[in-house]
Order: sequence, then structure tokens, then C-alpha cells
Amino acid sequence: MKLYIKRSAPVLGLLGLGLAGCQPDIDAPNMSPGSADFSSYVAVGNSLTSGYSDGGLYNEAQATSYPAILAQQFAKTGKGPAAFVQPSFSAARKDGSGFVKLLVVNGALTPVAPSPGPPPGGNNFLGEQVAYTNNTLPAPPLGSGQPELEAYTGGQPDNLGVPGISVLSADRTAASTGSAALDAATRATAGAYGNVNPFFQRILPAADRGTKDYVTYIGQKNATFYTCWMGNNDVLTYATGGGVSNLAANPFSGLTDSTSFGRGYRNIVNTISKGGTVKGVCANIPNVANIPYFTTVTVGAVLAAYKAANPAIANIYVTARTSATTTATAARVATATDLLTLTAQSYIAANPGVGASPLAPIPSQYVLDPIEQTEVLNRTTQLNNIIAKTARQYKAGLADMNSFFNDIVARGVVTNAVSNSATFASGNLFSLDGVHPTPRGYAVVANEFIRVINVTYGASVPTVNPNDYRGVLFPL
Amino acid sequence: MTVKTLLLAGGALLASASAASASGFQVNLGGQKNIGMGGVGVGLSLDQAAMFYNPGALAMVRDNGVQVGVNAALARISFRSENDGGQRTLQNSVVTPFNFYAGFGPKDAKYKFGVAVYTPYGNKVKYADGWEGRYALTEIDLKAVYVQPTFSYAITPQLSVGAGLMILAYGSVNLQKDLPLPTGAGHIELDGKAKTQFGYNAGVFFKPSDKLGVGVSYRSQIDAKVENGKITYTGLPTGASAGVVNPSFTANQFAATLPLPAVASIGIGINPTDKLTLGVDAALTFWSKYRTLDFAFSSDNGGTGVVGGKPTSTSVRNYQDALAFRVGGQYMVSDKLAVRAGASYDFSAVRDGYVTPETPDADRAIGTLGLSYQVTEKLGVDASFLFEALVKRTQTQQDLQNLGTTDRVAGTFRTNAYIPGIGLHYKF
Repeated sequence: MKLYIKRSAPVLGLLGLGLAGCQPDIDAPNMSPGSADFSSYVAVGNSLTSGYSDGGLYNEAQATSYPAILAQQFAKTGKGPAAFVQPSFSAARKDGSGFVKLLVVNGALTPVAPSPGPPPGGNNFLGEQVAYTNNTLPAPPLGSGQPELEAYTGGQPDNLGVPGISVLSADRTAASTGSAALDAATRATAGAYGNVNPFFQRILPAADRGTKDYVTYIGQKNATFYTCWMGNNDVLTYATGGGVSNLAANPFSGLTDSTSFGRGYRNIVNTISKGGTVKGVCANIPNVANIPYFTTVTVGAVLAAYKAANPAIANIYVTARTSATTTATAARVATATDLLTLTAQSYIAANPGVGASPLAPIPSQYVLDPIEQTEVLNRTTQLNNIIAKTARQYKAGLADMNSFFNDIVARGVVTNAVSNSATFASGNLFSLDGVHPTPRGYAVVANEFIRVINVTYGASVPTVNPNDYRGVLFPL
Repeated sequence: MTVKTLLLAGGALLASASAASASGFQVNLGGQKNIGMGGVGVGLSLDQAAMFYNPGALAMVRDNGVQVGVNAALARISFRSENDGGQRTLQNSVVTPFNFYAGFGPKDAKYKFGVAVYTPYGNKVKYADGWEGRYALTEIDLKAVYVQPTFSYAITPQLSVGAGLMILAYGSVNLQKDLPLPTGAGHIELDGKAKTQFGYNAGVFFKPSDKLGVGVSYRSQIDAKVENGKITYTGLPTGASAGVVNPSFTANQFAATLPLPAVASIGIGINPTDKLTLGVDAALTFWSKYRTLDFAFSSDNGGTGVVGGKPTSTSVRNYQDALAFRVGGQYMVSDKLAVRAGASYDFSAVRDGYVTPETPDADRAIGTLGLSYQVTEKLGVDASFLFEALVKRTQTQQDLQNLGTTDRVAGTFRTNAYIPGIGLHYKF
């Protein structure tokens, strides 16, 4: 009997092979642009739009920027851009401005930041092929004196994201604070912004450097669809600086006032949408206080580390604002509500014992105290109201990235059985600068843009699998 | 044949596909004749396979006999991700659920003995490399072999009862998936054997006339318990990141319990003529016992152990009790040749938003054909073919997020299964 079974098994196997072709098919979902026309997609924005990651702009990061992902997905509707031009660096200088890497230092995995500038002074020690020239931008005023980046020489880019740009610095007409001297300085600097920001300078034709502001620059594009994610730096620059600004040295280092922001933001959207005739999506400003830049180094952790070395240490001292109405600061005992910046980590390492006594408190630029947090949050809310109103005015969709990121911070996001969170390095979503997403994070952002576009324009653009994009790269 | 040799045969050949004709990871392939008739059998006393369908009917089976059957289950699973990744297909493999029955008793006695070996539960799937759900599952192989010594007694010529001691003689699970490590994809394999467990299978068979039979049967739940399953990792970093990543993966043992749920069945058999036999069955599988799949991790050096930084893992299943309706018939074309056909509809045990890649379950429509040929007075061959189509089923990442079932993958599953089978019976 067993023999019979043995002999019949191959017959069954053959029958099986014959049936192997009978795979059930699942129809591909219908992909449609809806009422949108993606044939010329243009992305306006700052570092988030450029694909900036790990504290730098480089070719790999550009390739996984959310506009690049969107363009690739738009193409699948049959009415997408044939090509989406990124202002990439040349192949031999693919690491652009250089970026932070995770390396083993003294036996522990540590983010190691590059030194800016051209080799040999630059970050040869990270082995990066950086794109700095031996020149610097013009000195202040109307310049920053920063190291210059290799000029972009390709066709006019479709990804117009400029790291570091704010609404205030994008429009030479925006400033309207009431202080004539300050407004004049701000407007002049915005007009000469190519001399201030090496990321803007490198994509401008030589003749436009120091003469063309960002709004004028984006007006040269004829988009059929756009995304606009501007405004983050109008609060972020101030916040990441620990609430310390020096408007005389940098007119864009403060919190942008709502009047200037409104004027500048409307100008930007009006320009790229050709007065509201071109379809697009505006994204608003996420709450900056809960990004890893502010949540990774905690007062409790610093205190615990100090206590481990010296049990007598009972408190950590910080320099903090004394009232909401003045900029005066004083040393006081730090509490868990004080947010230390990610950069405080290397400052503390370089200055052992800082913060252990009221005589040597942690400096203000490494602390976002509760007064400053409230300031930043309130301003974010005001600016987001302006963004929402402007989007309605110009018939654009609104990607509520503020709610989206709040949700990610609260619950994380799971993508095809992989958990991702806002935790520094290990959470997959935020890169090593603690502010900008990883490629995985940008893929998640792109999917949210797609969701909004699909709802707003009746489109069915397919989303991407975020797991196909990397999180923070750990060395093997 | 001793139970031990039966087990050896079983161990070598037995495996089952969840797509083999019942909801969840249940397999309703008890006997070749029954399979050809849509899986009915509770209200019939066709042959020794009654030990599986209704032990109460064994005493009414006229002949003593031995029979054996094997099926080749070919499940064809397709998947299309919620993200556009094209259509993924299963790596095709053939699994061979197997059954064996020996029933005997003195001629004209009121009782019969028997022993049955069958696979009421099982599951085997292997997905193509790199598919979207790789971090939920890449491969599963779940086997359960029951051995059932049975006794059946005819209280009157119309009424008989029977019961069997059900032994989970062999149970094993092998579960594999990829790990989303920050250094790239790793892989984890959990492999374990179940402890021997006991249950029972009992039934009542009532045959008021030559033309009518009615049966009820109940197969109890058995919990398949793995106590010292083995965990194997591949692809963990060995260099710079090992000190950061590897402390989250220290477990090398696991314990888990999987319920193999109870089934209650009722069936009616009708013989309108001498040549025609019809059967109708309804079965309820108590899947609602399967609430969660829990793993407890440990390490054999030190006791504590973690996987992904956690000492336990819980995956919500929340299965629901599942009904199945079956109908089938047999026609004796001649003294030697019988032909059969049947159909059934099985409702899924898996609720919307809870579909896992290990059991991409859905309501299923099943059609069957079968025939038997009596080669000699004593020896006959039985053959069957079963086709089943599972309803296309979609779940979105939003559904998963809302239900807290994000340990699985968003997209659309569709499955067809083709199950040819062949058997031999010998009467004495």
C-alpha cells in the first residue's frame, strides 16, 4: 500500500505542476491624476523640500526627497512629469555639503558631524566627497561669508527647495515690522539672498547671484502642479538656536512676525500658482518642540550622568528667560520642561562640568525654556492660520503636517509591520541632525502629500512602501 | 500496524495547507469519498473515514477495512500591496495531507474498533523573497497529526454511538520572518514541537430507515503547546553596531500555545434509490477561542531573553466562530464504479482587518468531484478533486492602525486552491 502511495505521489506532483499556472490575479488599482495635471510638477520649499538629511544636502538624500518620490508616483498616473530635475551635485562631489555619520567613537555609536568647508580643512576624515570650492560667499552685510558650494550646472531644477530659507528671506518685499532700519536690512538681505545662502547661490545663474530673491526665482517656472512647504524656518531657526537671535548679524534669526509672514507667504503662493490658476498643495509648519533635536538630550539624563561621576551634584543649571516680556536671561535650576538642544550634547562634552553650578550654567542657545517654547508654539499657530487661509484663497489643498507629525510623535507610524517612531536614530524617521527626516521619513511624508492630493483632486496616485527607504544607517 | 509506525508514515508525509478546504488553518480532508462529495459525512456511514466525520457511524459500516488517502494541496496565493508594488505570488509548494483508517470488528457484532490518523489542522505558506509583508512573515509550516483509537457501538439497529480518544501525536510549528534591523534586513526562525495532548471525538448516528440517516458529532479542542521552541537568527550585525542592536535579540527559546479548536457538526444522509446517496452537513468550528498568539521568550543561558527588546510578544487574532455548509452526492454507475460531486461554502474565521499573511483567510466557495473504482472484490481505488476559491480580501494600513493590528501587511489577498487526492481501500 505504501508503495502505491509512493508511486502515485509523482503523479500528483505532475498534476500540481500543471496547475501551477493557475495563479489568481488581482487587478491593478486604477491610477489617475483626477483633476490635477502633474506634467510639470514644481516643488517650492526649504531644506525639507530639498531632501536635506543628516545635517547636509547630498545626492542620495536629494534622490529620496519627498518631491522626487511624488514625481515618481505622479508619473504612474500617466499624466506625470517625464523628468523631474533635481539640482544634484556632480558625481565626484556627490556628498554635497557633507553630512553627519554614525560612527564608533570610544566604543560607542556616535553621530559624527563633518567640518564645513573644502578639503583639507573640510571633512576628509569622514571620507566624504564634498562640493565646497575654495571660495567664500561675500562678507556681511548682504552676505554671510560662508564657504561656497560647487555651482549647479544642469537644466533649471524642478525641486526648488533651498535649505535654510524662510518666508522672510524669500521675498524682498516681505519685512514690515514697523522698524524702518530693520525692515530695510531684512529686505536688502532677502534681495541679495544668493550671497547669504550657499544652497541658493549654487542653483542661481552667476548673473543672478546677490540680485535675485527667491520669489522672483520661482516665478521663472511654469508649473502645472506645485507643492509649497515654506515657513518652517520662520520659527525653526529661532527655536534651534535656543531662542537666541541676533537680528543685527542675521535678520532671519528671529521669529518672523505674522504681518511679514502673511505678505511673503501670499507672494510665494501667488507666484507659483500664477494667481491661483495652477493647482497645488500647501503644507503647514509642524510643532518644532517635539522633534528629536529637542527631545533627545534631557535635563534628567544630563543630571544622571553628572551624578554618576559626582553624587554631590543635585541640580543642573541653565540660562533661561526671566519673563515673557523681555529677552533678559538668568541662571536657574533646570527642570524637565526645559528642552536642551541636540547640540548641547557636544557642547557639554567639550566643556566638562558645564551646568553643574549656577556660576557656569548651560548657555541660553542650548536651551529652549518654557517661555520660549510658548512663544514658538503660539507663533507656529499664527503662521499656520495664515497658511490655511492662503491655501483656501489660492484654491490649493492643505497638507496638515503639524497634525501629522504630532500624531507620529504620539503614536509612531507602522509601515507594513515595521515600527517607526520619532526617537532619535533608532526611530527610523528622523535623521542624525534631529530635525530632518531620513529617506524613510520623507517617504512617509510623501505618502501624506499623496493622501491629501488624492482627496483634494479626486486623484488616485499610489503611495510608496516606506520600508523600501532606509532609516538611519548604522555601520555594520 | 502499530501506532508508532503510523506516526513515522505520518511524520514523513503529513503536512497540510490552510487553504485545504476549511476556515482558518483547519483542514477538512478526512476521506477520499467524502472529499468527492463536498466534504459531507456526518450523516453517512460510507466507510472507515466515519471515524473522522462521525465516530458514531462506525458501527454501521458493514465491512471491516483499511484505507489510506493522500491529497496534494496546491494553494495559489496572490497579494497586491496597498502601496504600488505589483502583484506578489506565493512560492508554490505542494503539501500532502494524509489519512489512514483501519476499522474492524466481528461479523454481525454490535460494535467496531478502529484507529484513525489524520490532520485536522495545518498550514504551510512561503512568500516570495522581498515581498512587502516580509517583516510580518516569510514562511510558516504548521503541522498537527491526530491519532484516534475509536470504539463504536450499535445500541439498536437504528442507533449507534461512538467515541475516540484523540491524541495530538505530532505537532510542530516553524515560523520565519525578516527583521527590520538598522543595519539591513535580518531574519528570525522560530521552530518548535508541540507536547502530546489529548482530546476526544464523539458522535451519534441514527438511521430510522434505509433511506435516511442523521448524525451529530463533536471534536474537542486541543491546545498545541510548544515549551522549548528554538529561535535562530541570521543577519544580526557582527561589527560596529552589534553592541547596540544585538542586546535586543538575546532569546534563543520560546513558548507558545495555539488552540486547535473544537468542531460541532450535524449531518443528514439520504438514499432516494439504491444507487444514489446524498448528504448535507453543517459544521461550526469554535474559532473564537483563538484570541491572541502569544510568545514568551527566554534564553537557556540565564533564563531571560528578548526578541526586539521585548520578553513577550502578542499578536491579536480575535477569530470568530465559523460555520460551513456542505452538500454532496454519490451515484453508483455500476457495481464497480461510483461517481461523486459536491459543493460547500465556508465562512471565514478571520474578521476584517485581522487578516495575517500566515492565514490569508476569507469566505470560500468549494466544488468537488470524485470517483471510486472497485478493482477486485476487496480492493478499490478512490480519487477526488477539490477546487476552492477564496473571496478577494482587502485591508488598508488605516484599518490596521485603527484595530491595533499593525503587525501585518496592508493590501489585497486572493487565493485559489487545487487539491487532487487519491486513496486505496481494502475490505475484509
